[in-house]
Amino acid sequence: MIVFASALTFFFVNLAPGGPASVMRFDVTAEQREALIKRMGLDRPVEQRYAEWLAGAVRGDLGTSLLTDETVVQRIGERLPNTLTLAGTALLLSVVLGIPIGLIQALRRGTPVDHLLSLFSAIGLSVPVFWLGIVLILLFAVSLHVLPSAGVTSVASDTLVDRLTHLVLPATVLATTVLPTIVRFMRSATIEVLHEDYIRTAASKGLAPRAVVSGHALRNALIPVVSAVGALVPRLLGGTVVTEAVFSWPGMGRLALEAAQGRDYPLITGLTVVVAAIAVLASLIVDLAYTRIDPRIRLA
Amino acid sequence: MHASPLRLAALGLAAALAMSACAGTTAPGTSTAPSATPAATAANAPVTGGTVTIPIGADPTLNMWSPNAFVESLFINRVLFDGLTRPGKDLAPAPDLAESWTTAADGLSWTFKLRSGVKWSDGKAFSADDVAFTFNDVVLKPDLGAQNRASYAAVKSVTVVDPATVRFDLTRKFAALPSFLAYNAGILPKHILSADPLKTVSFNKGTPVSTGPFKVEKYASGQSVALVRNESYFGPKPYLDRVVFTVVADPNTQIAQALSGDITIMILDNKAAVDRVKSASGLVVASRPLVQYYWLALNQTDARFTDVRVRQAFVHAIDRQAIIKSVELGYGSIANSPITPALAAYYDPSLASKYPYDPAKAKELLTQAGWTPGPDGVLQKNGQPFKFTMDVGQRGVLEPVNALIQQDLKKVGVVVDLNTMEWNSYIQKDVVRREYTATVNWWTYPSDPDVFPYYHSSAAGKGFNIPGYQDPKLDDLLVQGQSASDLESRKAVYKQLQAYTSETLPYLFLWYPQEIDVLSSSLKGVPELGLRDAMHYIGEWWLSKK
Repeated sequence: MIVFASALTFFFVNLAPGGPASVMRFDVTAEQREALIKRMGLDRPVEQRYAEWLAGAVRGDLGTSLLTDETVVQRIGERLPNTLTLAGTALLLSVVLGIPIGLIQALRRGTPVDHLLSLFSAIGLSVPVFWLGIVLILLFAVSLHVLPSAGVTSVASDTLVDRLTHLVLPATVLATTVLPTIVRFMRSATIEVLHEDYIRTAASKGLAPRAVVSGHALRNALIPVVSAVGALVPRLLGGTVVTEAVFSWPGMGRLALEAAQGRDYPLITGLTVVVAAIAVLASLIVDLAYTRIDPRIRLA
Repeated sequence: MHASPLRLAALGLAAALAMSACAGTTAPGTSTAPSATPAATAANAPVTGGTVTIPIGADPTLNMWSPNAFVESLFINRVLFDGLTRPGKDLAPAPDLAESWTTAADGLSWTFKLRSGVKWSDGKAFSADDVAFTFNDVVLKPDLGAQNRASYAAVKSVTVVDPATVRFDLTRKFAALPSFLAYNAGILPKHILSADPLKTVSFNKGTPVSTGPFKVEKYASGQSVALVRNESYFGPKPYLDRVVFTVVADPNTQIAQALSGDITIMILDNKAAVDRVKSASGLVVASRPLVQYYWLALNQTDARFTDVRVRQAFVHAIDRQAIIKSVELGYGSIANSPITPALAAYYDPSLASKYPYDPAKAKELLTQAGWTPGPDGVLQKNGQPFKFTMDVGQRGVLEPVNALIQQDLKKVGVVVDLNTMEWNSYIQKDVVRREYTATVNWWTYPSDPDVFPYYHSSAAGKGFNIPGYQDPKLDDLLVQGQSASDLESRKAVYKQLQAYTSETLPYLFLWYPQEIDVLSSSLKGVPELGLRDAMHYIGEWWLSKK
């Protein structure tokens, strides 16, 4: 599947109009363009270039970036930890907040609390990420001076606390892309579970409502939520493109934007392969998580 | 057509700013000198220390001859690398690595006497060999495709006369060479770069060996490049301890960082935010002239545009003052030639009022050219309506400008369709393939009136002569300008060239933009130049103690 994704990307980006940024600039003559295209090897047929790329890729060599002459592996390696930190924090935040909020809404279904939280979810889903990002920067960095506006660390001090304060705003903004979905899934799954026979049985046995929810309902309601989380990983990675641009976060999202705008063919292909691998890995983890939550599913 | 996230972000910011903006009342165009702030009480004498932070849009490439050195690389490379000359504060070429220069009697060579005692940041001695290497082995090697090599088409080779003297041998006269050498023409270290001079990653993306007042301490990809003083620097010791270039991709985040005090100086690309910035305490706004002009190119392979009356009619039809007011917030002036007001020694201000906004006059000229109104009001000639497409690259102010031009031309009966394109694809279509009818863009060029590459008929169709305009008389003026070596005779030639181009309109000249710089009020000693040129003087910048 990853090979398929790489082939698709490789051919599509090479067929897209335009060319590498060094060639597609105003202040370059026809003679220079020709020399540069030759130097980058782009005068050879696409199929030949893909075959060479694939031969290298199976050995762990994803080629050389056309924009910087660094290896693609090195460029992605520099950025991947930052994106995983940002996306991981946002996901953790969404799960830690989303599950209890969804649960509360389900238990308080139809009350003002439920409506208010639903309203927040709707706002969260509909507010554009870049707008929210800029507003939060203006509020917390410009007006209140309590949080840094951009970057992953300060230039002068690189401590854990410094890194965490830099993480707060971008992780919060990125979380808004998935948190409302988790809340909705949790709410509807819990409502559904609460109607099940075994819940009624448990309640009629005389178990305290708290024990019914924590012992019986929660575990079952989590199953659809966990699969939703797996499906949200690609959306989360997509969200990093804008979030990283607004907050100058040196991650893969910004790298992807630069690679696409500059037609850095090997880098775009390499990024696609890595993101595809992450998505595959995420669904594997979700499958494994099922077995933990639901004892009926066991690894063969 | 979809709106890009960044453009939407700009709207979001504009809305957010509008909510908090105090109405600024200062008239645009008035330059507020940074030294005029009352904050600097007794401290008029420069003090040592402090860090200046400057935002850049992407990771820089620390080699100005690399074809991957884009606009974000200009600032830092002008700090790190010295050329033989640098732009003087009057933009005329001033000594840098060369102390003096002379041209031969026949004008076919230039000899540069180099400064003595210059060392690279690794302690090795700089010499004429480095200059010869930079040109013979990098710039003039056709297969490397070095950036800016087109500027040196007249240079045959560079000869080392002795360790402190180099000679540029030319194929034709090239009076502007000292000016061109001041423009992104840093000298590279031969002892470091011999292998592949444009693709050495440890240099371009790491810690290059350089001659400037600061050297790279740390290059953190996607984050920042930190510079410290170069202890081997030949000039006076700089006042600043450090200069940090932070990578801030989003222009609105750059503004937010300036407002929060995280940035010391920057160019304000989004002029709509100028009032908000002016009202902020601790920031100073300054406008600077640029060697840049916007133009509308009408492809000369289209017979409709070879009639000079049509070109003149269009200039009368376009309300350029309204464009300057709308997209530049007044920071700019009307252009009628390629020589900008920043080149004060050459600029002819008498041409500024040559083409007033006058739709009636435009219609009259179009009628003379055979274009008469059809039943629907659209002009026609031989039964064909006057209709064409303008390609619009998504960058800077180009989109709103094209929309204004479309409206103005409609008023005189010319129908324009706008074809908006992503920048990279636009360059391929309009510049590489020249498959366009009309398009708006701009030129920025070295601080010299030698505009040969953009106008000479030899550059039509493939070089920088975008409209493909060919005119023997203009060619002759361009060559005369390159041949005249003393200032007075050059002034006379370029005065004629301005008058001639304003009459014949090879490009339709639109306006000369000004740059808006935003500075912390504690930053002193920045010369009144465009910020990219002021980088050559960073050794003179200093921070007052607050």
